[in-house]
Amino acid sequence: MDVLGPSTLPKGDNVNPYAFCVDLAGSWFIGRGAMIAYYGDVAFRAVTAYASADAYVAARFSSPAHVQDWVVAEGTGQVLLADRGFDVSSFDLDDGNLTVRATNLLGFAPTLALKQSIVPGFVTLLGTGTFLASSNGPVIFVEPPFRADPQALLGWADCPSPSIHHDAAWMAASLAGALRGALGRVSGEERQYDFTGAGTVLLQSSEVVREDPALLRVVEQQTEQLTDEQALVLAGRLRARVEQRRG
Amino acid sequence: MPFESVNGKVVRAHLGTGRTVLSRRGAMLGYQGEVAFRPVSGTGGGGVRGVVGAALAGESQPMMAATGSGSVLYGLRGLHVTVVDLDGRSPLLVEADRLLAHDADLQTSVQLIGSGGLRQAVRGAATGQGLFTTRVAGAGAVALLSHGGTFALPVRPGEVVVVDPQAYVASVGALSVELRARVGWRDAVGRGSGEAFQLQVTGSGTVHVQASENKL
Amino acid sequence: MATLSARGRVLQVDLRGDAVRAVQGAMVACTGEVEFTGAGLGGGDGLRAALRRKAAGEGLALMECSGTGTVHLAVEARHVEVVDLAGDTLSVESESLLAVTPGLRLDVRFAGLGGLSSGQGLATTTVTGTGQAALLSDGPAIALEVAPGRSLVVDPDAFVASRGSLTTTLVSGISWRSLVGEGSGEPFSLRFDGTGVVLVQPAER
Repeated sequence: MDVLGPSTLPKGDNVNPYAFCVDLAGSWFIGRGAMIAYYGDVAFRAVTAYASADAYVAARFSSPAHVQDWVVAEGTGQVLLADRGFDVSSFDLDDGNLTVRATNLLGFAPTLALKQSIVPGFVTLLGTGTFLASSNGPVIFVEPPFRADPQALLGWADCPSPSIHHDAAWMAASLAGALRGALGRVSGEERQYDFTGAGTVLLQSSEVVREDPALLRVVEQQTEQLTDEQALVLAGRLRARVEQRRG
Repeated sequence: MPFESVNGKVVRAHLGTGRTVLSRRGAMLGYQGEVAFRPVSGTGGGGVRGVVGAALAGESQPMMAATGSGSVLYGLRGLHVTVVDLDGRSPLLVEADRLLAHDADLQTSVQLIGSGGLRQAVRGAATGQGLFTTRVAGAGAVALLSHGGTFALPVRPGEVVVVDPQAYVASVGALSVELRARVGWRDAVGRGSGEAFQLQVTGSGTVHVQASENKL
Repeated sequence: MATLSARGRVLQVDLRGDAVRAVQGAMVACTGEVEFTGAGLGGGDGLRAALRRKAAGEGLALMECSGTGTVHLAVEARHVEVVDLAGDTLSVESESLLAVTPGLRLDVRFAGLGGLSSGQGLATTTVTGTGQAALLSDGPAIALEVAPGRSLVVDPDAFVASRGSLTTTLVSGISWRSLVGEGSGEPFSLRFDGTGVVLVQPAER
């Protein structure tokens, strides 16, 4: 195995498919837990520490739901980033926009701005700069028109946000066949995210959903639109669902 | 028609002119074109009736059929996918929940690897002391799942290849696959108390083993 | 003389009449004449129990594979690396050690953390002597050099092994780790000074 050091590590490039080396001279946004090792003089501070103090940081990071999951790495050195043994890919945006699943965004240059996406669990990056995405298996690029399994969707660039396609034929066949245990069992074919237009859709190999702490905050935000009566009905349904799964 | 390997964890099937692909439910990552998906009941199970038949039906994987024109991406939970092309000369035996997708033209049936009689084997499979496998016959392409990928071990006449049942993925050829209990084996595969089981493969062919002792 | 060969996520052990010690429960296939005996504490309850015993200070639960055949070892699809030792010492995060050839001696050290409040601290196995050691890594391991003036700081959950003349200090002050409630992870990092090599994995335990 080759032994690498500060001068031989690839700068701003992958070390292997599962790890990336950021050549830090200034600052970078990094996901909590993404750093595996570093050389040099680097300090790591939670984004929350900057929120009110540094207007520059606050302007680039406009997503209160996600702010607790991010840190700013500042200084000079080589910082190695990785995520769960997943494939790590780097992308360069050129005055562009890309929406990506929040738990798969590993890090990004401060020249990019991050905003919460309308689609729960996703964030949008805008501007010019480099960012890193991790994926279960190498990223797969497809062009619309395309329908994607919601769990396999990693992100999309340039094309409009997806709509939801319900597979009526599937539902009819499931009920008509009265398959054992089919009612109520969700296998993933019931609906997909439907993409049209000009752009690129990014997929990964479907994964067991990783608990996303921000997703809870985002979905909770959306429930503010419910009346009190609706909120209580929702609470009851969620409890029943968990009990049914565990029982 | 073959499965196109997109990467180590995803395959693409091109549909058109009457080709149907059967796959596990939940394995579709996305698709392009006019494709219809239909749930179908589990693999094989033909010919085995009564209590045992019901048990088999319960154990077999829920499947679905894809037809139309377009292309479908298949993958499951980030597991590795190995594509095996069958030439029709010998069947493939694959551990039941490791079969991702296959051409609908291939014939499948459930085969039990166990010690003792059929009833014993069914009970055994439920308690982890037996193996439900799917027997795939005919000529066509099959996509297999594994945790971490598989490596192939040749089986030559006169030799015995011993495999941890939880690491067994599939085997092809003129092979005999038997489940045996062996005292002291539990140290090797490290599972629980009591006798542990090993698979003994003899004959002539290839056995695919996964790089992990995890069940899927 | 037994040889260890790393084949991606599988270790191939050609015994050739020798006995190789390996973590209990790692066998996925074998051919030829092979015997397995519990070399550590007798009886196997798999990798997890082996680690619990190690955490309690009783050392790794190992089994001995002996004979003239070939054994294939794998653990949870983790990548395998083989390190050749010639009289020196390798420090390995105990959970990352898979197998060793006969000429190597193993000592388990439990580095408690004294004043720091955290989980279990670091369980390290030192491997000394001449022979081969097989290591496990979640994703292919990366070898990083440490030299005077080029200290390396490593996330303890990514640490796999180290060798050379190194001093290890605990560095606190990674401020986000002290955020309570979400995510786990040690509230400190490992800093290596001196001369040597550190192996890290592209994942956290």
